[in-house]
Amino acid sequence: MRFAVDTGGTFTDLVIEDGSGSLTIYKSPTTPADPVQGILDAFQVAADELGRSRESLLSAGSMLFHGTTRGLNAVLTGNVARTALVTTAGHPDMLLLREGGRTQIFNQRRPYPDPYVPRSLTFELAERIDAQGEVVTALDEAAVVELARSLRAAEAEAVAVCLLWSIVNPAHELLVGEVLRRELPDVPVTLSHHLNPCLREYRRASSAAIDASLKPLMTTYIAGARARLADAGFQGRLLMMTSSGGALDAAIVADAPIHSLNSGPSMAPVAGRFFAGLDAEADMAVVADTGGTSYDVSVVRDGRIPWTRESWIGQPFLGHMTGFPSVDVRSVGAGGGSLAYVDAGGMLHVGPESASAVPGPACYGRGGERPTLTDACLVLGYLNPDYFLGGRSRLDVDAAVKAVDVHVARPLGLPVHEAAAAIWELATEHMVGAIEEITSHQGVDPSRAVLVGGGGAAGFNTVAIGRRLSCPEVIVPLMGPALSAAGALISELSRGFEVNGKTRSDAFDHERVAAVIGELETRCRKFIDDAGKDILSSEVEYAMEARYPNQVWTLEVPIDPELTRTPEGVEKLVEAFHIAHQETFAVADAASPIEIESWHARASCRLSDPRPPVLAPGGGTPASREIYLAGAGWRTAAVWRLEDVPVERPQPGPAIVETATTAILVDEGASFVRRSSGTLHMVPGPRGEATTAKAEVI
Amino acid sequence: MDGVRMAVLSSRMNVIVEGMMNTIFRSSRSGVLNAAHDFSCCIVSADHQLVIGAESLPIHMMSGPDLISRAIAEAYPALTRGDAFLHNSPYNGNSHAADHCMVVPVIDDEGVHRFTVLAKAHQADCGNSQPTTYMANARDVYEEGALIFDACRVQQNYADVSDILRMLKLRIRVPEQWWGDYLALLGAVRLGERRMLELGREVGWDTLGEFVVEWLDYGETMMADAIAALPAGRFSARTEHDPYPGAPDGVPINVDIGVDPAAGRIDIDLRENVDCLPNGLNLTEATARTAAMIGVFNSIGENVPPNAGSLRRINVALRENCAVGVPSHPHSCSAATTNLADRVSNMVQRAFASFAEDVGMAECGAVIPAAAAVVSGTDPRNGKNFVNQIFLAVTGGAGTPWTDGWLTIFHVGCGGMLRRDSVEGAETAHPIRVRTQKLVRDTEGAGRFRGAPSAYVEYGPVGTTLSVAYGTDGAVNPAQGIRGGLPGGPSEHYRRDAQGNLHPLGSQGIIELADGETIVSVTAGGGGYGDPRERPAEVVRQDVAEGWISPERAAEVYGVALGENGALDSARTAELRGRPVSA
Repeated sequence: MRFAVDTGGTFTDLVIEDGSGSLTIYKSPTTPADPVQGILDAFQVAADELGRSRESLLSAGSMLFHGTTRGLNAVLTGNVARTALVTTAGHPDMLLLREGGRTQIFNQRRPYPDPYVPRSLTFELAERIDAQGEVVTALDEAAVVELARSLRAAEAEAVAVCLLWSIVNPAHELLVGEVLRRELPDVPVTLSHHLNPCLREYRRASSAAIDASLKPLMTTYIAGARARLADAGFQGRLLMMTSSGGALDAAIVADAPIHSLNSGPSMAPVAGRFFAGLDAEADMAVVADTGGTSYDVSVVRDGRIPWTRESWIGQPFLGHMTGFPSVDVRSVGAGGGSLAYVDAGGMLHVGPESASAVPGPACYGRGGERPTLTDACLVLGYLNPDYFLGGRSRLDVDAAVKAVDVHVARPLGLPVHEAAAAIWELATEHMVGAIEEITSHQGVDPSRAVLVGGGGAAGFNTVAIGRRLSCPEVIVPLMGPALSAAGALISELSRGFEVNGKTRSDAFDHERVAAVIGELETRCRKFIDDAGKDILSSEVEYAMEARYPNQVWTLEVPIDPELTRTPEGVEKLVEAFHIAHQETFAVADAASPIEIESWHARASCRLSDPRPPVLAPGGGTPASREIYLAGAGWRTAAVWRLEDVPVERPQPGPAIVETATTAILVDEGASFVRRSSGTLHMVPGPRGEATTAKAEVI
Repeated sequence: MDGVRMAVLSSRMNVIVEGMMNTIFRSSRSGVLNAAHDFSCCIVSADHQLVIGAESLPIHMMSGPDLISRAIAEAYPALTRGDAFLHNSPYNGNSHAADHCMVVPVIDDEGVHRFTVLAKAHQADCGNSQPTTYMANARDVYEEGALIFDACRVQQNYADVSDILRMLKLRIRVPEQWWGDYLALLGAVRLGERRMLELGREVGWDTLGEFVVEWLDYGETMMADAIAALPAGRFSARTEHDPYPGAPDGVPINVDIGVDPAAGRIDIDLRENVDCLPNGLNLTEATARTAAMIGVFNSIGENVPPNAGSLRRINVALRENCAVGVPSHPHSCSAATTNLADRVSNMVQRAFASFAEDVGMAECGAVIPAAAAVVSGTDPRNGKNFVNQIFLAVTGGAGTPWTDGWLTIFHVGCGGMLRRDSVEGAETAHPIRVRTQKLVRDTEGAGRFRGAPSAYVEYGPVGTTLSVAYGTDGAVNPAQGIRGGLPGGPSEHYRRDAQGNLHPLGSQGIIELADGETIVSVTAGGGGYGDPRERPAEVVRQDVAEGWISPERAAEVYGVALGENGALDSARTAELRGRPVSA
C-alpha cells in the first residue's frame, strides 16, 4: 500500500493506493500550527472509512509521498531562519539590484521589493575569480575565519555563499564551506555552485539564500514528521515531492529544502501526462489546474515537462525569483473565486482579485456580496445547488443572482443571465491567454495538444477553452480535483544534475565535454545506486543548454551523450538545436554554429507501475436542466452523474456531468465519452465562425 | 459601449502583442534586446491610431507608432499583404535612429488594410560614425552617420527585398549580430500579422473595427475621469540639462501646463524653448510628445490604458525646429529618447506633484552613465569585434506620494522596464571585469519617501583595450525632489589609471581604456518626495541599520537621532524634529 499526502492551505489531501492499484481520496482540514497533526487526522479519516485502526493502516504502507507548502509559506511570510549572505567583495547588492524589470509602470503604489537577505546581514569576502576560472584575487583562509566570527556575532542561523564565477571554479566557495563547517558547525551553509550551478549571480544567490533560510525549519519539520509517523505506525519510506515534478528521499530534501518549494503546482503535469497518455491520443498536453484564485498552466511536450529557472515566489518582479530549476507553471489570477466588476469606464473585469476562502463566492452564503466566476456558473445553471461537494453543502442561487445583477448586469445594462455569461466568457478568455503565453514560450501548438483539466473549478469552461484553442481533445480525469496528490503517487524518484561545460560547435572541446559527461554519469549512477531496493527500473536522460552565439538565453535540447564524442555527432547536436529553435521561435539560423553553456542529466527511478483505476461500467440515464450558454441562450442539457455515464459510448452536448467534487460543462456541438478509468474525454468541436486559417510561411 | 466585447478583445490583442515581445526577447542576438529588453511591440489601426501595446518602454510607444504608420501609408498608398517595412527616420515619426522599427500591414482576405503591427528595437549598432548608438556630440545627422530608413520596403510578398539588407550589412558593426536581431524583429511582426488575421477571420473585421472605436473611447473616458479628479489651474515649470557639446551653458527647458478638469483635458506647451541644437540631444516629434505624456501618466495614469483614446485628452503643443519639439533636418536626434526627453518627463511629473497632493512624483535620475555604456573593441578570447550596450546597475527611481523610488527605474522614459545584465553575463559577453557594483550611502534624494541612491559601478577591459561611449546628464543639475524632498546624488565619472589614481571625466564622450584601467561610473540618484522630517523615525532607523544612510545624515537631514547601538533615541529625535529646518 502506498500513500500520498498533500498539505494544502485549507485541506490535507490523502490518496491511498491499495494492493490492487486503485486510488481513493480522503480529505481533512489542515492544521497550520501543526501540519503533521493534519496528516495524522487525514489517516484517521481514511482508517475510519476503511474500518480499521490508524496504526494498522499506516503500518501497511511501504511509501509515503509528501507534498507540503511549509517551505513556500515560510518564504512568503518571511518566517525563515536569520540568514546571512556571503558575496565577492565589491558585489554586496546582488539580491537588492536583481535583474531589473517591472510591471504596471504607472502604478506608483507598489514599492520596490526588499532583498531576501538584508544588507546588514550581507558580508563581502576579498576574493575574485574571472570568467575563465582564473583566480584574480586569492582567498585568504584567515579572512574566512574572521568572517565566521562576524557571522557568529551577527547571530546568523544559516549562511548562503555566492561568489562570482564559482560555477567555473568552485575552489573559493569550497574553502568558505569548509572553514564555516569547522568554525560554525551548528550553522547550515548553502554553497551556490553546489546547489544551482547556473550563470547569473542573482539567480544563484537567490536560490542559495532561499535554500539556506529554509534549512533549520525543514530539517526540524521533516525529522518531526518522520518520528511522529513512525510512532503512529508508519515504517516505510518517506519521500518528499519536488519542484521538478519528482520525489526525493526526505533526507535529501532536508539537506536542500529548496527542492520542495514549488512542489504542489509541479505535480499537476505529472498526473496530466499520465492521464493524457492513458485516455487521449495527442502526444502534447496542456495541463490546467483551476483553483479558487488562480489558474496554473503547464505543458507536456513529447512526454517531457519543460522547466524554467524564472519561477517567482509571489508576484513577478515583486516577489523573489528562485533561480532554481522548477517545472514551468504559469499562473493567472482567474479561478472559481475570481471577483467580477465593472470599472468607471464601463469595462468588465474578472480577477485577479479573489473572494478567497473567506467570505468566498456570494452563493456560499458566508457573507460574500460580490459576484465570482462560481456565482456566474450557478446563475447559468452549470452548478447544481443541491449537489455541491456531493450534496454536503448547498448553494444560494438567489445570492448569486443578486451579486451578478448588482455588480455586473446593471452597470452593463444587460439581463442577469447575459451578465453571468459575460463573466464566464471573460474568465475563459483570461485562461486562454495564460495557455497561449506558456505554449508560445515553450513552442507547443495547442491545436495539436490535449487539454487536461484539473482542479475543483475546471469543469466550468475547460471544453470552451479547448474549443477556443482548437484543441482536438479535452480530458478531465477522475482524479482531476486532486491532480497534485494523484501526481505524487505516480511520480518517480528523480534528481537533475548540471555541470557548466561551455564550448562551441565549431571548436568543440571533446576532452572537456567527455569529462563533464563522465561526471554527470557518475552522479546519476550514485543517485540510482542510493535509490534503494524499491525501484523497478531507472534511466538517465541527458540534455544540453545551448544557444546561437551572442544570444543570451538558452534552449534545453535533449541529447544522446554519445554524440558528443565525434565530430559527426556534434553536427547532429547542432541540427537538433536548429530544429528546437525553429519549433520554439519559428526561425532558425541554419548556417550558424552553436554555443553550449551547460550539460544536464536527470536520473529517474520508477517506484511504481501506475495502473489506472477501473470503474463500474455505468449504465444510468441522465436527468435534464435548463442552462444558459454564452452566444446561444437557454438550452436543455442532459445532466449526468459521472458514475451513470456508460463507458465508451459517445454522448452529445449540451450536457453537464456532475461528480462529488466538480461539475463539467459540455458545450453544444461538443461530445463526450467516459473512459473506463473514469476520465471524461471530450471533443470540443469547431470554433464559432472560425475558418481554419492557413499560416503564412515567411 | 459593449464592456464585455471590449474586455475580451483587448485581452486577446494583448496576448498577441505579448507573443510578439516574446519572439524578440527569446530569439534576438544583441544584449540590448535579449538581456535588457530595449524593444516594444504594438498594434495600430488602419487610420493610424495606437490601439494596444505590450507593456514596454513608454518612450517607444505613446506617440510614434501612429506617426510611423502614417509615414508608411503616405510612401506606399497601396499596401499589400506580404509587405514589410523598415523605418527609423527621426524626421518622420520615429524615436531615434538607433531604434529600428519593423512594420507590417495586416491586409484582410479582400485586400483591405485593417491594422498595422509594429516592433521597435534598439540596435546594438546603427552605423553611426562612432561606435555608439547615442551620438550626443554629433553636430548634425551627417556627423552622426546613422543609416536613416524612411518607409523602406524590406519584404514583398513575404520574400526579402535584399537591397537594403545588403547595404546594412556593409555599414553595421558586427553584422551577424545585427542579422540575428533583424530576424527576431521580422519574426515578431509576422507572428503579430498572422495572429491578427486569425482574429479578424474569427470575430469579423467589422466587429474588430467597432471594438477599436469603443476601446479608444474607453481609454478616453478613463483619462477624462482621472483629469476630472484634479483641481483646475495653470502652472509652469523649468528645468535645465547640464552643459554639453553644442550647448556650453546647458539647455534650459520650460513648460506651461493647463488642467481643465471640467473638460477633462490637459494642455502642455513646450513651444517656448530653444531652437534645435548643434548636437545629438534634439528630441523628435515622437519623443517630445511622448516625454510630456509620460510625465502625465506617471502623475495620474494608474488605471488608464495608454491608447490613442486616452492620449487625445493630452494636447502637447510643439514647435518646428525646437530642441524639445519637431526637429528640422539635418539636426541630429541621436539621443532623443533619453537626455532632454527625461528632462521633459521629470519636469512635468514634478510640476504635477507641486500642483496637487497625491499626484505626480519627484524627478528620476538622469542617464546614460558609463554603467550602461555602449562598449566596443576586439575580444582577445576569440579575436572578434564586438559592440553592445551593457546594462549594469543604474538606479534613479524618484520618491512618490506613496513609495520610495523604484530602485532600478534606469530612467524615467523606460519606467523601470529595462532588465539588467548580471555581472557574469556581462563578463561572458565582453572582455571586461566588473570590479565593483553597489549602492552609495547618503546619495538618496531625502524625503518622506526617498529617491533611489546612486550606484557605484567600476569596470575595465581584460587583456585588451575598450572603447566606452556614454553621455549622461545630472552631474551639475541633479534630480529634483518635491514638496520638501531633496535632490538625488549627482552623476560622476572617473578614469582609474593602472596605478589606481582617479581622474575626473566629463559627462559624455568616448573613452578609450587601456588594459588595467577602469572607468568609475556613479549613477544619478532620484529625488525625494515630501519633507524628510516626516519620514517615520523607525523607518529612518532601519535605513541606517541597512546602510542606506549614515547616522549623521539621519540626524542632520531626517532629524532622527540614534544611540550607540543603533536604537532610536526618541527624546533627541523629538527635539531635532521640533526645530525649524535649517537646511
